Amino acid sequence: MTSVVNARSVSKHFGAVRAVDDVSFEIEQGKILGLIGPNGAGKTTLLKAVLGLTDCDGELSVLGLDPFKQRKELLKNICFIADVAVLPRWIKVTQLLDFVESVHPNFSRKRAEGFLSQTKVRSDAKVRELSKGMVVQLHLSIIMAIDAKLLVLDEPTLGLDIIFRKEFYSNLLNDYFDEERTILITTHQVEEIENLLTDIMFINDGKILLDSPMDAIAGSYVELMTSGEDAIRARGLGPIAEHEMFGKSVLLFEGASRDQLDGLGELRTPSVADLFVAKVKGARK
Amino acid sequence: MIGNQLALIKREFWEHRSIYVTPLAIGSIVTLSVLAMLVFASGFAKELDMAIFGASNLAGEGERKAALTAFFVGTSWLFLVALAILTVFYCLDSLYGERKDKSILFWRSLPITDAETVISKLITAIVIIPVAAVIGIIATHIANLIITSIWVSVKGGDAGLLIWGSVPLFDNWMAAFIVVLASGIWMSPFIAWFLFVSAWTKRAPLLMAFMPLILIPLLEWIFLRTRFFATAVLDRGDAIPLFRTLDFESFFEEEHWRNGLDGISLLGHLDVVQFLTSPSMWGGLLVCALFVTATIYVRRYRDES
Repeated sequence: MTSVVNARSVSKHFGAVRAVDDVSFEIEQGKILGLIGPNGAGKTTLLKAVLGLTDCDGELSVLGLDPFKQRKELLKNICFIADVAVLPRWIKVTQLLDFVESVHPNFSRKRAEGFLSQTKVRSDAKVRELSKGMVVQLHLSIIMAIDAKLLVLDEPTLGLDIIFRKEFYSNLLNDYFDEERTILITTHQVEEIENLLTDIMFINDGKILLDSPMDAIAGSYVELMTSGEDAIRARGLGPIAEHEMFGKSVLLFEGASRDQLDGLGELRTPSVADLFVAKVKGARK
Repeated sequence: MIGNQLALIKREFWEHRSIYVTPLAIGSIVTLSVLAMLVFASGFAKELDMAIFGASNLAGEGERKAALTAFFVGTSWLFLVALAILTVFYCLDSLYGERKDKSILFWRSLPITDAETVISKLITAIVIIPVAAVIGIIATHIANLIITSIWVSVKGGDAGLLIWGSVPLFDNWMAAFIVVLASGIWMSPFIAWFLFVSAWTKRAPLLMAFMPLILIPLLEWIFLRTRFFATAVLDRGDAIPLFRTLDFESFFEEEHWRNGLDGISLLGHLDVVQFLTSPSMWGGLLVCALFVTATIYVRRYRDES
């Protein structure tokens, strides 16, 4: 497998604040990696370093390039949506397509117009006349028409209603993603994207708490719903987190075998959201 | 690189429509004023006949040329003043607006370097806006000459002789072109300073741009009792080494244009060699280069989140 992003001891400081603190990871081609973290965890800083928008300490290589020093070269093969509101409001849709067409060697106007024809975005409209959802559709149409190797999405569906959000991800999966491409995505709405992720990474206080393929989660983590005597016995096995639900105790175990826990209660694979909360709380203790 | 520049400059036209709306508006106002004047003058039929008769027979070519040149210079100055104001506002908004609406994150997601972007704004301010102004000047002159010719013909005058035969078109337009372009180059340190403020300030770019220009000479005077900064910076506009003699009073005196037709040539008053060999001009370009470098640096390194 080719590695698309390779980070070795990457750090970024803002004065005394360590936004990204000695982080190492690798993203392979053909993966959809979810980068999950609370506000101020260092997600956006890390994405910016990957996109060459900010410099950092340590070794960071994206598509074999130094993102900060070779940013122009890199941006021919990398796309990103930073936030929903970043398309300039004064521009017309046709002007936007004209512009991207003339500066981006890997942009296919035909493809973009194809995507746009499936939406309500009129080509003579100005961005300021479009609804928030339509602006995202426009942005996504442009991004998906760029033949890029890496797509970075930072909270791409922030502020959109559920219909637009679902559509956004289904377009992304059906019309864009293939084994040649890699997607790196951050969002707060973990539950909406966990089904489409191949890999997941948790980040908190600038450090990586978890970096795992999605299908390994079930092997490593198990959630036990129990009560009474069983709960006391289960606590003895060293759960990493516990919370109450419907009067029962829900215990989360890392690296415990299912056989060991079987018989103590109901077992299931934890959701990404629960796992995330457990990991972040555990790290804060 | 060049393809990117063209696309970037085109984008400036889309975003800042005032680049062509302003010359269009001034041209329209001048043309309407001339029309109103002609209509007003038509009321004095007798005097008019005499004036046309007089202009056709008595006045020499020199006088007619001078009168038309005065009109040309007047309208050109209007454009020049508007151009200066437009350039200040354009520069201050060019790298500030994109940060305010966060569209900088979109622009920076495309394979364009910060240097290319900043240079496209510099070219727009120093070349494109002045050229748009010159086109405005030329179009306004042509429109007004045509209107005036028709009017003179209707009133019984010989437009060919009175207007077109006397008008030093090429001379005027070349002079306008050189003055406008040279002004851009001469004032380039200011343009680059405004670009820098636009890329750097968190708020109130207009205030941030002009405050140092007022405070520094004031402080210099209070503490050092010298005027170096004021002389070098605030007086720069007047000090452009392009004119041989910038003496408009004598320029429009009768004696001056009776002395020979050369006196009326605007081009004849310009000294391009003196301008191009002026150390102040080159010093200005150096300051411009420093501020442009700083601007590129700020746009590249500043974290916008």
